[in-house]
Amino acid sequence: MELAWYALLGLFFAAYLVLGGYDYGVGLLLARRAGAGTGRAALTAVGPFFLGNEVWLVATVGILFGAFPTLEGELLAGFYPVVLGALAGVVLVTAGVQLRGRAGGEATRAGWDRIVVVGGVLAALGWGALLGGLLQGVPLTADGHVAGVGHVVTPFVAATGLTLLALVAVHGATFLTLRLPPADAPALARLARGLVPAALTAVAATTVLGLLSDRVRAAVARPALAVLLPLVVVAALLVARAALRRGRAGVAFAATATALALPAPLVGAALWPRILVATGDPAASLTVAGAAASRPTLALLGWLVLPLLPALLGFQAMCWWVFRGRIDGRAPVYW
Amino acid sequence: MDPLLLARLQFATTTSIHFLFVVVTLGLVTLLVGLQTAGYLTGKPVYERLTRFWGQLYVINYVLGIATGIVMEFQFGLNWSGLSRYVGNVFGAPLAIETLVAFFLESTFLGMWIFGWHRLRRGVHLALLWGVALTAYASAFWIMVANAWLQHPVGYEVRDGVAHLTDFGALVTNPTFGFAFGHVVSASLVTGGLLMAAVSAWHLLRRTPDFLLFRTSLRLGLVTAALAVSALQGFGFAQFGPVGQLQPTKFGGGPGREAMVADWTARFGPGDWAPPVLSSVGLGFMILIGFALGCVWLLLPLLWRDWIIRLRFPLWLLLLGLPLPFVAVLLGWIAREVGRQPWVAYGLLPTAQAVSPVSPALMLASLIGFGLLLGALAVTNGTLLARHAARGALDPALGRPPAPDTDAHHQPVFA
Repeated sequence: MELAWYALLGLFFAAYLVLGGYDYGVGLLLARRAGAGTGRAALTAVGPFFLGNEVWLVATVGILFGAFPTLEGELLAGFYPVVLGALAGVVLVTAGVQLRGRAGGEATRAGWDRIVVVGGVLAALGWGALLGGLLQGVPLTADGHVAGVGHVVTPFVAATGLTLLALVAVHGATFLTLRLPPADAPALARLARGLVPAALTAVAATTVLGLLSDRVRAAVARPALAVLLPLVVVAALLVARAALRRGRAGVAFAATATALALPAPLVGAALWPRILVATGDPAASLTVAGAAASRPTLALLGWLVLPLLPALLGFQAMCWWVFRGRIDGRAPVYW
Repeated sequence: MDPLLLARLQFATTTSIHFLFVVVTLGLVTLLVGLQTAGYLTGKPVYERLTRFWGQLYVINYVLGIATGIVMEFQFGLNWSGLSRYVGNVFGAPLAIETLVAFFLESTFLGMWIFGWHRLRRGVHLALLWGVALTAYASAFWIMVANAWLQHPVGYEVRDGVAHLTDFGALVTNPTFGFAFGHVVSASLVTGGLLMAAVSAWHLLRRTPDFLLFRTSLRLGLVTAALAVSALQGFGFAQFGPVGQLQPTKFGGGPGREAMVADWTARFGPGDWAPPVLSSVGLGFMILIGFALGCVWLLLPLLWRDWIIRLRFPLWLLLLGLPLPFVAVLLGWIAREVGRQPWVAYGLLPTAQAVSPVSPALMLASLIGFGLLLGALAVTNGTLLARHAARGALDPALGRPPAPDTDAHHQPVFA
């Protein structure tokens, strides 16, 4: 039963990184002052999906709290500065996207653009660093608390943060290639292709740093899965690049989505059955089973939530279906 | 500085700001459902225009409110990891249900509602708003179940120092839940109704051209506020019974309080087991405000032949009264939450044991950072609501018909 809930947690976080990922990616690209897919057009492309994307994060934390309460407390408190940064980023993007269109003049709007950019950067760096931090283990005290927050300050964590940032940027540009009017697509595809080498470099650097790090090597229980992760991400990026060159935006988007969907499940699987791996004494680690809520709680949540999952997914799918296709002059503008 | 104090200050700040958004959201969405349903059934354009105007204000408030809600949710883990460690098995369940069953759907529906004008069939579009409203109420329901559990923990047993769920039904039938839920919902309706009436009053005072439109929303807001304020008072006073019995330390002294303190001293050792003296001071003011708001009933007869508009001064009263419900909900919330101290789960988990072992410097940074951020959001929200309310109902961005189609060539994505 813990495994089922753990898988569900991974699914929701992965879906958040894919869906929230293009929100932040599109947000990052607002840093460009001119060209296709800046300003209002970019927000209109994201528009109908924006609210539905963020809920995956809230639901992830909900599952974390309900099904893995011990992990929730230790994870968030143990990665305090990282979570704080990501959270501030999420708040800034949420508010900025909404407020941008409500502001008065050009100057104010440019200010809101910058806020959205900063928010997107913080959110991507934060969630990337969190995954990296999990992969390198944490120092645990005797009573099971994470000791301090200094453990996150490593080159590896910085690299994972930057990698997610790069992936999100590629993903955002690919999303815009898919969503904006056909006339804008070639320019955006070029932009997305141009970002791919940066992402490849980041993935390579992260891989090297991870292989060199004693902590990562000690914490990972399944090295094969951990090595598989960068390989698959690189493959996805190469597929996306090739597809963008051929004008197949749908395929490219599926590829970048895969690159963002895989990190969370593969990190979880590589650490399984542990989740907070204690540096020094791996036996003291927090396991998934140890972090899970007790049986009656999981059973209750199972009975209440699982029958509703098809509805949750169904209404999300309805949203994607209703607003599918490229935006055009008739697209509803609200943000 | 003391991390406990910092964490409590941050919780108080975040909750208070979040709650201001929540009451507006919950109140307005109910009124919106009424407006859009009326428009659907009667086909009168005035209702569609009203839905767009009030919907725009609702959406601004909702989206900024989400930002505060996300901080709220993360804060449990960031600052109060002891809460999840010791009572997460029980307290986490209603919160998880809230996010998955209520909030997840609410936001998904709302996204489709905002962008679905002129794109979805009218019935589907209306159904989406109903979905938003129902899930908003479900959300309030589960959050209040969780909060009521902190006020009066039930349905659990403690094994190895950790609370385990034994009876989920007891959480839903918790005596500190039902009346409090009714109280919060009616407070939201009073706030939403009064907000609607006050904004309409402003336009009627300014004599903006949309007389009929704002006359309609004035009447709707006022009647809603009047009906809800009576429910509000009823649910408020009804809580004194169960709270006095179950939380004798909350509102003042008496033998119950002394017995409780003696019991805790025996079980948890000597300590200051009384809530801060100031915790129930605000309650008196809140009750006064509640009675003052009850006076909206006196304005109802003036709806006859529009005397309320012709006399003008009742409109001024409504405008001046607008801050009152916001002050009252903050005071009420403070009385409920501070009166629970020094417990995070009453009689079960002392607040000091629940705070995360995080350095005070980090906690302070978080308090200042998010305090400023959320404070700025609240101020921005107020400003934006005022500006968009003042702009009038001529052409809100929400539900604006799309420009004529110049490019008929429509490319599907996954062809």
